[in-house]
Amino acid sequence: MYAVTPMDAPVVDVRALRKVYRVTERETGLAATFRSFVRRRYREVLAVDGITFHIDAGEVVGFLGPNGAGKTTTLKMLSGLLYPTGGEATVLGHVPWRREGAFLRGMTLLMGNRSQLVWDIPAADSFLVLKEIYAVPEAQYTRTLDELTDLLDLGPLLHKPVRGLSLGERMKVEFAAGLLHSPGVAFLDEPTLGLDISMQGRIRRFVAEYNRRSGATILLTSHYMDDVVALCRRVIVIHHGVLLYDGALADLAERMAPYKRISVTLRGTVGDLSTYGEVVSSNENLATIHVPRAQAAERTARLVRELGDQLADISVEDPPIEEVIDKVFASERPLAEAMA
Amino acid sequence: MIRIYRQLLVAQIQAAAQYRIQAVLWMLFSIIRPVIFLAAWTAVSTAQGGSVGGYTTSDFAAYYIALTIVGHLTTAWNSFEFEFEVRQGRLSPKLLRPLHPLHYSVVENLVWKVTTFLPLMLVCLVIALTFQVKWSGEWWHLALFVPSIVLAAALSFMIGWVVATATFWLQRINTVNTLLQRTSFIFAGQIAPLALMPIALQVISYSLPFAYVLAIPAEILRGGVTLERGLLYLVGQAVWLALAIVAYRFAWRAGLREYSAVGA
Amino acid sequence: MVRYLRMFRAFAASEFQFEMEYRGNFYLSIFEMFLVIGTSIGAVLIMFGHTTTMNGWTLPEMIVLLGVYYLIQGGVNLVFSPSFERLMEHVRVGTLDFHLLKPVNVQFLVSTRHLRVVRAADLGLGLVVVIVGLLQVGAQIGVAQSLLFALSLFFGVMLVYSLLLGLVTLSFWFVRVENLLAIFWAFTEAGRFPVDVYPLWLRVSLSTIVPIGIAVTAPANAIAGRMDAVGVALLGAGTALAVGIASALWRRGLRSYTGASA
Repeated sequence: MYAVTPMDAPVVDVRALRKVYRVTERETGLAATFRSFVRRRYREVLAVDGITFHIDAGEVVGFLGPNGAGKTTTLKMLSGLLYPTGGEATVLGHVPWRREGAFLRGMTLLMGNRSQLVWDIPAADSFLVLKEIYAVPEAQYTRTLDELTDLLDLGPLLHKPVRGLSLGERMKVEFAAGLLHSPGVAFLDEPTLGLDISMQGRIRRFVAEYNRRSGATILLTSHYMDDVVALCRRVIVIHHGVLLYDGALADLAERMAPYKRISVTLRGTVGDLSTYGEVVSSNENLATIHVPRAQAAERTARLVRELGDQLADISVEDPPIEEVIDKVFASERPLAEAMA
Repeated sequence: MIRIYRQLLVAQIQAAAQYRIQAVLWMLFSIIRPVIFLAAWTAVSTAQGGSVGGYTTSDFAAYYIALTIVGHLTTAWNSFEFEFEVRQGRLSPKLLRPLHPLHYSVVENLVWKVTTFLPLMLVCLVIALTFQVKWSGEWWHLALFVPSIVLAAALSFMIGWVVATATFWLQRINTVNTLLQRTSFIFAGQIAPLALMPIALQVISYSLPFAYVLAIPAEILRGGVTLERGLLYLVGQAVWLALAIVAYRFAWRAGLREYSAVGA
Repeated sequence: MVRYLRMFRAFAASEFQFEMEYRGNFYLSIFEMFLVIGTSIGAVLIMFGHTTTMNGWTLPEMIVLLGVYYLIQGGVNLVFSPSFERLMEHVRVGTLDFHLLKPVNVQFLVSTRHLRVVRAADLGLGLVVVIVGLLQVGAQIGVAQSLLFALSLFFGVMLVYSLLLGLVTLSFWFVRVENLLAIFWAFTEAGRFPVDVYPLWLRVSLSTIVPIGIAVTAPANAIAGRMDAVGVALLGAGTALAVGIASALWRRGLRSYTGASA
């Protein structure tokens, strides 16, 4: 049976999803331990506070937020590992936490900090077990494995015990393990965590290529903005469990950073430029100034006019995406305010 | 030396306080087997009309309760721990300290035995009531038991260390431990009081060290030996202890050479 | 069903390859098993040097019982205990998530995923001991009796399984379940003698808390012709009940793990 999903229906559909954890308060000391055994005290922690978004087939979406923002909790709810406290979600037309076979066969969750492979045996053996678990037909299995081996350069890695692989090699094998059953939706939680730059790039290129070839829908969290910039045209930003931004990556800076960055190069040493805006850095003949977005044009004109011949070069741009994100996350203010 | 021990003792007692439940649970391990064999011998003795080879049903109970106490007081797990430490790479830092690693485990061992002694006695009381035991010893049996149990505990501990040194040469000493445990199972008086074993096995038992750890102190505590025999047993224990210490010193030195040659 | 058998075959194949990597350990554990079973038989022989029966059990019957003891232990150690060891680790480290994402029965997966293939040798040795004992008994073993034996053996293994599953499930709520398992293994040692030699309090705890006594004694009784079909049926019903309770507890544990309740 195939889940009948109209072509235009979103693959991931999340409405007002909420998750509240009940955390047991632990006390120290024997008497207190005993007391808490009889009557436990709970504290409620709001992890995800009513978020709503849709993802269409074939999209690669970046899911951003600082630690504890609720990203992993959301991914766990979408992959059926956690029951939500409220709200609704469907993935591939299924309610994830009902954990129906068709749903589980259609998705995968990869976690950069956890491994599903057995350490003592070569990955190839674990793959055979996964093949039986997902009931992948022989022909399809061979084809998928060949393709993944090709894309990820797995050849020499498959027959070594997993414990002997480097972190990057292991992540490649983890990817293959998670994709052996050709899922239509992949949730990637920090897939490049701890990898060196070149391996990060390798994984990124793989994800992009996989998405292109298979048309799989991908929702990805990462601490490395490079991942997001390279892969996602669209990002969803959450903070304190609340959705801050959902839209094109290109518009993120415009929407969320209230300032622009002016870089000037002078022929002499830099004098006092603080009358033009916030000087964030200056050394010898280079300076960077932040100015309110609305006044960017006017301030630039003033700089050109007043510095005259001293000015060797000037450029106006959006601040780098990392900086925008950092600024947003550093502020404890509710987002509505930050965005106003 | 005494000052160092006092410090170690305090540290270990604090550590033990955190593992109270665990300590009591591990105690179960050392008492379950004597109870099982006591039950079996009670069944045999009943089938034979109340006594087997001079042991009455009550004698069996006294013997196995004594064996429980002796077994508990002589347990040594240092070989397992040592292997674990070597594999985790924790031995090298310990070797750098001025105190021989042996002393840490002495204190740890003592603390565990002291902290679990009370629950052990409670369990023994329950067993004693269930099997209607009668103690038939004299006061000097108790006096003999004191040095005997100290020697036995030291002997068991040193055997543990000799086995532990095998870690220097072998990757896993699991098999060595199993071999030792099963030999002790047969020859240390766990299956039966030594007097009830076939004569050939008795000869082997008395010539191996294992009975000097378990069966012999247990027989003394039960009150099942004459004074002369008891004193002879003490000599036997002392001889085995001396042998074990010599073997240990030899093995430890050779082992350390091996260890530093391979590098850790 | 066929699918689950195929899966089980894949589990076994992958673990077998792993153990073959460490062939030295493989042979050593077989050697250890010979040592353990040999000395245990020695113990029974020594005791029967002083008597001809123990609570109505003759020497050959005791040998059969010992064989059954190692058969059941081998069965449990072959599949369930290695799988459960990993399960507890998965709960602690958080990798149980991967099992929950699989489109199969999770209880099946966590109970059978990891095998310790070398323990199959224990099964073989146990069987040899049972057969040797039976030859000594000298009785004719009919088809019906063998069938009852096989059935009660299966029930015995499942009875122990249900208890283990129940204990391991507790790791969803408590961190250190290893201690409970340690008690469990300490008590299984009692299975080497027929359950009726123990004093009442111990027998009750052996049969109810740790059903190893029943699990071992029943098959030995069945093959010695001391247990009829009704008895085996009752054992089967009890086992089904125990397995039912254990998997209900397991499902509850899983629900609390995923936050569906409590």
